[in-house]
Amino acid sequence: MLLMGTTLTACSGSEDDAAQVSAPKAPATIPELTGDPLTLSFVWFEWPPAQALEKFANEEYKKVRPNATIKVNTVPNANWHDAMFTQFAARKTDFDIAILDSQHIGEAVTNGNILDLTDFVKNNIDVNAYDPYLLAAYGQFPQAETGKRDENASLYGLPLLGDTWTMIYRKDLIGDQAPQTWDEMISVAEKCQTDNPGVSGLAFHQANGSDAAAVTYNTVNGVYGGNLWDAKAKKIEGVLNDAAGQEAMDVLVNKMKPLTAKGSGNWFIDEVNAAVAQGKACIAFNWIAASGGLLDPKQSTLGKTREEILGKLGFATLPKQKTDLVPLGGMGMHVSAYSSAANQAEALNFMKWFEQADIQKKWAAAGGVPSRTDAIQSPEFLDAGPFNKVYADSVPRMRDMWNVPQYARLVDIENTNVNAALNGAKKPGDALNDIAREQQAVLDSSGKKGGGGL
Amino acid sequence: MAVSVNEAVPASPVRDRTPPARRIGGGRGRSVLEIALLTVLAVVMLFPVLWMIETSIKENRDVYAVPAKFFDFEVTLAHYRDVFVAPGGGLSDLSVAFLNSLLVAGVSTVLATLLGVPAAWAYSRFTLKAKKDQLFFILSTRFMPPVVVVIPIFLMYRVVGLIDTPLGLILIYTAFNLPFTIWMVKGFVDEVPAEYEDAAMLDGYTRLQAFRKFTLPLLVPGIAATAVFALIFSWNEFVFAIFLTSSDSVRTAPPAIAGLIGGTTVDWGLVAASSVVFALPVLIFAYLVRRHLVAGVTLGAVRR
Amino acid sequence: MSDAVPLTTDRPGKVASVTPPARGRSRRLSDRKLAVAFITPALLLLLAMSVFPLVWALFLSFTDYSATRGGTGTFVWFENYTAVLTSAQVHLRAVTTLIYVVGAVVLQTVLGFTIAYLISRRTHGRGLLTTLFLIPMMLSPVVVGLFWRFMLDAQFGVVNSMLGSLGLDQVEWLTRQRTALFSLIVVDTWQWTPFIMLIALAGLTAVPKYLYEAASIDRASEWFRFRTITLPLVWPLLLIAVLFRAIEAFRLFDLVYILTSGGPGVSTETLSFHVYKVAFLGFNTGTASAYGILMVVIVIVLTQLYLRYLNKLKED
Repeated sequence: MLLMGTTLTACSGSEDDAAQVSAPKAPATIPELTGDPLTLSFVWFEWPPAQALEKFANEEYKKVRPNATIKVNTVPNANWHDAMFTQFAARKTDFDIAILDSQHIGEAVTNGNILDLTDFVKNNIDVNAYDPYLLAAYGQFPQAETGKRDENASLYGLPLLGDTWTMIYRKDLIGDQAPQTWDEMISVAEKCQTDNPGVSGLAFHQANGSDAAAVTYNTVNGVYGGNLWDAKAKKIEGVLNDAAGQEAMDVLVNKMKPLTAKGSGNWFIDEVNAAVAQGKACIAFNWIAASGGLLDPKQSTLGKTREEILGKLGFATLPKQKTDLVPLGGMGMHVSAYSSAANQAEALNFMKWFEQADIQKKWAAAGGVPSRTDAIQSPEFLDAGPFNKVYADSVPRMRDMWNVPQYARLVDIENTNVNAALNGAKKPGDALNDIAREQQAVLDSSGKKGGGGL
Repeated sequence: MAVSVNEAVPASPVRDRTPPARRIGGGRGRSVLEIALLTVLAVVMLFPVLWMIETSIKENRDVYAVPAKFFDFEVTLAHYRDVFVAPGGGLSDLSVAFLNSLLVAGVSTVLATLLGVPAAWAYSRFTLKAKKDQLFFILSTRFMPPVVVVIPIFLMYRVVGLIDTPLGLILIYTAFNLPFTIWMVKGFVDEVPAEYEDAAMLDGYTRLQAFRKFTLPLLVPGIAATAVFALIFSWNEFVFAIFLTSSDSVRTAPPAIAGLIGGTTVDWGLVAASSVVFALPVLIFAYLVRRHLVAGVTLGAVRR
Repeated sequence: MSDAVPLTTDRPGKVASVTPPARGRSRRLSDRKLAVAFITPALLLLLAMSVFPLVWALFLSFTDYSATRGGTGTFVWFENYTAVLTSAQVHLRAVTTLIYVVGAVVLQTVLGFTIAYLISRRTHGRGLLTTLFLIPMMLSPVVVGLFWRFMLDAQFGVVNSMLGSLGLDQVEWLTRQRTALFSLIVVDTWQWTPFIMLIALAGLTAVPKYLYEAASIDRASEWFRFRTITLPLVWPLLLIAVLFRAIEAFRLFDLVYILTSGGPGVSTETLSFHVYKVAFLGFNTGTASAYGILMVVIVIVLTQLYLRYLNKLKED
């Protein structure tokens, strides 16, 4: 009988969710906080920063809010988007703060899944303490122009962890000096590969899951002067696959791919790290926030101590070519529209606390990547890891992907096609044209809801 | 009309039949050849399992060694410790997932048995309208692609708040196991002569009492075997688990094990150790019900 | 499914004998009530958890409803169905799925039957052998997928390592179009050959001994005996095993998700995997429902045709 009741309610359910079309607003000031024990839950994917955040927050936040416990739920990276958005779709979340990828904001805002923090930020956050683009990238929607922030646009999140790619190179194999241009990097890698049998020239993300292969192509695309789209005209076809875009695809598939290890066509963060740690790559590219393990002697064959490993590994900002663009990574904190009022208040309080200068420095020392300029420039951050200076130098050079509600499909189209090109399942030119065509079709059908789309 | 599997395969123990071919023709050479072939096939089929066990007791640097190390490696049980104990002490996420699996698989099995056994008995004993159709319908619900079912189930669950709850998984696994339980137990009931119940009823028992006092005790081994299979199905299930749960405290073991890869480093030793720990109960259970394997894996549609 | 053909017959004699002779009207009624009371809860659960979702999916498949974008869907009638049926993307996945199903099922049928045949000819250690061979089938697809991914790794996987010691080149098992689909078939075959073996073994051990004895008096050749005695008796059972495997293989999702995640490109994406992407990346719930319904229809129609063929075979 219970089940019959279930089915009856279920029938009427689909009508209910018509109401929300835009994000509900968060209060401008933090409401009164509860004195009862409370667990503030996050959702992130499984990687070391998630554990670092939980540990850091429980140690430090408890000092100001002894009744609060922080829980960072983690899901497999491949399942990250699905796990958050299926819960959003359920209108019930087991997390109070969603750690969204910067490109997920559009989808969450359009569906009304996260709170509008504009007024809250005005009253509680010192926006001038940030590089404007960082603030925009992790919070603003509609998306900001690369490098800028639109002060009239609404904000839906605050930075949690900044990130970009670092170039990791073997000082003992190619010398202390990091290559300065993309072309130089390729020729150095080629020479290194020839000189050192068993070591491949390059290692980078090629997998067709998450945003792996897509970020790789986008990076090369940016460096070679290409554009992902014309954001104003919502045009991808003809923009992505223009001459610069084609050159970037050619460089990636015909010059860079031949320098990678055989069978590396499904590599992502962990495989690239393993290749570096096993001494199998001359030059590698990886996210800074995922590079900490490289210095762990237990996981490395490069040395028995951190210093020994650092004698062999160098970390540098990405080489430039026609432009100096680097990929923007990292994520912001966003308040779930479906968590309880008390938890939302606690979440806002946490975010305000987290974005203070001294806390950001402590976060940096604990292994996090802060976003406030003063924290990024602080010795606490710069001394915490050899790659942190890379991040500080990369901040003005960042470019993001499309932050639109259709992001998940756009990135899947790009991932699968770039991955196909890298693994010989498609010709590079065809792959790029297919990406442009299919992505354009997705953008054009954005008026349609859940029908007619494949 | 119907394909009768029962006729083709009379129930009889394996041991009765000596393979006839060896006595006649062929001779020794052929027998050796057959044994050799069988050995090769067995090695190929079992190697991955052995390799998994071996990897689970290797140190990580030996795991990545090229060429692969088959014998000369140092044995460590550290991975097994990591399966159960979190780095900072306390229960690891994996052991929580194992407990969740135990809860979800256990309760859904009990429910499927409680609902399925009476239904199976009724289907076996009574003449019912369109019985064959009903039975086939019940079986066919098991053949729907899970990815397809998960969409409406998801929508349904979100209305009633069952997403990311153990109860949600328990219900879907119960429904998942029910067809199989009914089909398999019905087979066992068919084998118990209805005359027992008739006789009991002549002695003044009601039909229900006759079922409980005379038939049910005879069914216990069969029901146990059926339950073990239901347990194995829900223990191994992945698709519903990954789409209907998300938090560490609810997640069952298969998605948790899948989550071990895709971070910043892959600890294959840990993957192997947790796989071994996860597979062990299933293998033990499967061994316990080895007599009923054929019926078990074919949802009771084929019996031996 | 009214003309469904059950896989097992009820024994008519038994059913008849169940209805007790010369019993009062009241007793019969209570029997009926008992039957209803015993069957209803199970059927209700199945209706709620299997039929209702399917009907709901059917309803959604005619709308443009999206699970995340809110609002009710509007009716678009067969738009979703035409979109799915005319999509080149879907055709590609259908071909991939077909190759996979045929490849995997053929391979495991041949292997499974061979192993069963070899085992059935042993006198000693049959129980142990059977149990050992069955291990792969009992493992979770997650464990199987992860572990094969590890073993098939081009750089440090044990398979390439062994090929290397034989002097052979590294093979990119999971990242080339042909090899990736082949690997998927191999892994599925590894896991499910025991299934076919088990059922074939059941058939083989059930062949009555006197048939062989009669044949040996006639001095029939080994092959002749196999073809005229063994195969015809095992064949129907084997065909049912094939049916089960084909249905399972057709809806394959988890192994793809873990082993290749559909790569390289989309060359190992099965229909199920594609449905997942439409449903959970694009949240095009309406389209995904139509896609799913079509898959269910295909399973039902093909199963029916197959069962009919099976029955015909039986009659001849």
